[in-house]
Amino acid sequence: MVTTLVLAPLLLVALAGVLQLGALRAAAARVRAAADLATLVAVNDQDDAELARSGSLRLSADAVDVAREYFARELELSSSLLDSSAAEIAAAADLAAYPTAPAYDTRTGARYDRPTVRISASVPVRTPIFGALVLRPVTTIEVLSVSSPR
Amino acid sequence: MPLLFSILEFGSALERWLAQDAATVQAARYAGELGGDAPELRRFLGDQLRSAGIDPDRVSVDVAPSRVGWREPIQVSVSSAYPVSIPFLFSTTLPLRSSAISRGEVNR
Repeated sequence: MVTTLVLAPLLLVALAGVLQLGALRAAAARVRAAADLATLVAVNDQDDAELARSGSLRLSADAVDVAREYFARELELSSSLLDSSAAEIAAAADLAAYPTAPAYDTRTGARYDRPTVRISASVPVRTPIFGALVLRPVTTIEVLSVSSPR
Repeated sequence: MPLLFSILEFGSALERWLAQDAATVQAARYAGELGGDAPELRRFLGDQLRSAGIDPDRVSVDVAPSRVGWREPIQVSVSSAYPVSIPFLFSTTLPLRSSAISRGEVNR
C-alpha cells in the first residue's frame, strides 16, 4: 500500500511524459508531411512554356510562393498543435527555388542535379504537459524538405 | 495496472493516428494526381489503411471538392474512432482526424 502511494505520482508523471512525447512525435510527423507536400506541389508546377520549347523541366516562376502558400495551408490543418499561426510560421520559413541545375544550396551546401524547391522552417509546437512538468511549454521542430522533379 | 494499460492503450492510439496521417497524405497526393475523388483513390486509401492495420470500413473519408482542375487545391480528410479501455478506470473512444491538401494536376 505504501509502495503504491509512493510510486503512484512517479508513474503518473511517467504516463504524462509518455503521452506528451507521443503527441510531439505525431506533431513532428505532421509538420514534416506539411513541408514535403508543399515542396512537392511547388515542384509539380513546371514552366509549361520552357517544357514545350526545349523539353526540359524547369520550375514555374512562382514556385516559392506556391510552396509557401501550401505550407501555410497544410499547417493550418494542425493549427491546434501550433504555438503561432500557420501563416506566421510559413512567412518566416526559409524557402528557396533552384530553377536550373546543377545548383548549390546556399543554406545546406547540398548540390542539386535537378530543379529543386527547398523549405527550411522552425515550427513551434505546444507541449503543455512538458510545461506542467517544469520543462518547455513550447517545443520547436526544425524541418527541412527538398523536392525535385523526375 | 491501470497506468501500465494507459501507456499501452494511448501508445497504440498514437501509432494508429500516425499511420492514418501518413495514409491521408498519400491519398491527398494521389487525389491531386487524379484531379478529384475517384474509385481508384478510395481503393488506394483502403489499401494504405489496411496495410497499417486500420479497417477502411470503419473510417470516414471526405474529399473536398470532389473534382478539381489544374492548380486548384483539394483536401482529403479521414476520421475514425479508436476505442480505449483502461481496466478499473474507464472506457472511451478517441476521435482520430487527419487531413492533407494537395493541388490538382489534371488540365481538363
